[in-house]
Amino acid sequence: MVAIPTLWMNAITYSSMITILSIGFTLTYLTAKIPNFAHGTYAGVGIYVGWTLSKIFGLSPYYGFPLSFVLGGGLSVLLYILIISVITRLGGGAVVLTISTLAIQILLEALITIYVYWVRDIYGTYGMGFMLKEYDFKIAGYQGIFPVSFLICCIVVLVLHILLTRTRIGIAMRATAEDPQLASVLGINIDMIQKMSWFLTGGLACLAGAMYPLWFQSYPKSGSSIMTSIMAGSLLGGFDNIYGAIIGGFGVGLSEILLTAWLQNVVDPGIGRWRPLLPMIILVGVLLLEPQGLAGVYRRIRSSKMGERIFTKRVKGGVASV
Amino acid sequence: MFDFIGSMVFQIQGTSRLLVDIAMYFGLFVIVAMALNFQYGNAGVPNMGCAVQVIIGGFTVSALTTRLTFFIIQSAGVQLKPYASNFDWVYNNQYNVAVMTNPYIESHPMLGVALLLFSIAVALVLGACIGWLIALPAIRLRSTYLMITLITMADASQIFGRNIPGITGGTLGMFVPNVFAWYPGDRAVILAVVTLLIGIISFFVFRTMLNSPYGRLMRAIRENDVTVGSVGKNVVGIRRNILMFASGITAIAGVLIAFYYSFVVDNAFQRADWTYWPWLMLILGGPGNNAGTFLGCALIIALRRIIIVNKWLFERFLFFPISYFENILLGVLLILVIMFKPRGLIPEKLLYIPGISYSRLVREEVKVDWRETGRTKTKRSLFGLRGKKEGDDTT
Repeated sequence: MVAIPTLWMNAITYSSMITILSIGFTLTYLTAKIPNFAHGTYAGVGIYVGWTLSKIFGLSPYYGFPLSFVLGGGLSVLLYILIISVITRLGGGAVVLTISTLAIQILLEALITIYVYWVRDIYGTYGMGFMLKEYDFKIAGYQGIFPVSFLICCIVVLVLHILLTRTRIGIAMRATAEDPQLASVLGINIDMIQKMSWFLTGGLACLAGAMYPLWFQSYPKSGSSIMTSIMAGSLLGGFDNIYGAIIGGFGVGLSEILLTAWLQNVVDPGIGRWRPLLPMIILVGVLLLEPQGLAGVYRRIRSSKMGERIFTKRVKGGVASV
Repeated sequence: MFDFIGSMVFQIQGTSRLLVDIAMYFGLFVIVAMALNFQYGNAGVPNMGCAVQVIIGGFTVSALTTRLTFFIIQSAGVQLKPYASNFDWVYNNQYNVAVMTNPYIESHPMLGVALLLFSIAVALVLGACIGWLIALPAIRLRSTYLMITLITMADASQIFGRNIPGITGGTLGMFVPNVFAWYPGDRAVILAVVTLLIGIISFFVFRTMLNSPYGRLMRAIRENDVTVGSVGKNVVGIRRNILMFASGITAIAGVLIAFYYSFVVDNAFQRADWTYWPWLMLILGGPGNNAGTFLGCALIIALRRIIIVNKWLFERFLFFPISYFENILLGVLLILVIMFKPRGLIPEKLLYIPGISYSRLVREEVKVDWRETGRTKTKRSLFGLRGKKEGDDTT
């Protein structure tokens, strides 16, 4: 049996989480047309769901996965009903909505911290910096979270793909993302679809957050601090393309850990302190080179002469596009 | 109440101290919020990176002004400890500043004033450069991209400050020379006066710019950039210019906060403090309106400083640090204001255009006989941008 290096396990676990979060960020942008800066903080909620279950109730943090999915979804829908939909109805533009998500981020982060202080006072449990590695199970000598996170990531991608292409709800969601007015003319309940998509994004973000403390050091701000990586992954994928977000999230997550480790080996071990700059460099690079991200690159290749040769195949009686 | 005018250092206590503190912070935040109003309220550039520009001001003081001061003082014959290498720069910093530099400035007031002016001038230029740099990736794109980039940049600037010891001594922070060491009273008082003075000057600068043709152009871009682009204006260039100019002004606030703390460390320039609070002030007061910015700034600063100064009073009842309560306050206030007062406390008014009265313009428009279009006669256009030929348009 081939031993997988810890670095690769680290990288794959991290990129699975970033991928799930990037998909959610992109989904919010598609349906609500705003970047939700509170997306990372939903993950912070998920982190403390797992923490509460394992440290206070003595359960395995894996029970926190479904719980945090439901909780995060509920929280997200609540915020949508209370804040986002009200501001939209009152005629707030994209900038104002984005600022309101920033306010939600600050509010949620403060509430999480206050919750941690409250638990410390009641139960005497320290939650400012913690890991749940010892609550994890082992599969063939590996930490359980490594295969589980990758599996969950694949399942999420698969389920979303089926949802968005095969079911009526998913097609309605895509129609709403394309043109809300036209979708409502066709009899789609836009408000319901919006709530569905906010539930999905919040739940996914919270689920990814519940996985986080099983491998990484967590603290109340860690949800917000991975926001840059999420945005970089989403932008790398094209910002309005869910399949792009999968590749983008994995790309950013892998490069953040593997590239840093490689540079530490090759150049200087002290280069690790610049790691938070990497997603920012990716973000700026994408915006400078190709603002449409990988989706734009794909589109450009398809429309070029060579792309036409690759992506079109000859069928009987004409040319069909793939 | 006003017993602090000529008082000695550390003599100011109680309510007077709170007043000085509020005045200082009001001056600082009003500069940032007015620059933000210039960008978002009037030109529609959503600058989420105020923290970057403020931090550049702080870095200017710690990296450039401090080095320049050491160089000048060493040339004047004062024996400083070495400060060339990174280690010496951090290790000997406190001795060099507090023991050697400040007494020298105490006996040479002109040096202190010159250093202050130097810092402000350099911060203005550097802030404009940084404004150009951070606008580079996303100024051409939708405002969403610009917001994402600028928010990210605020974190990036903190990482630079933390990891390069030559700027602010890394995580340890740097003491900076007290340029008001020659002032016999309390340093905070004169600094508050200087800050308020700069705030007033920048208010007049912004007001003049807004009432000029350029200000009208900015408002036109905010309302509809496609139309402005279609009449031949360089929308991207104007947006970039606005961002650069306002960045320079915001950087001055960074210089003043560095001199107020006498200490620069990257953690003092949190995104929450220097980006979100100015946004809250702007939205509370009413975007597009300097009077509203003043009002929002005064309300928020008074609230914040009174909470912070009396925190021992509140913390008796709370089980968590008061700063998190402050964050909740920020979030809830921002959301409530956006929901229930989207135009702010003082809504935006029509611009005052010197020399043009709208009623007279309307009367003249009525008098013009549209049948005389064959003759070319210059007529004053509505916005006074350029005299236009009457026969040009065929309507």
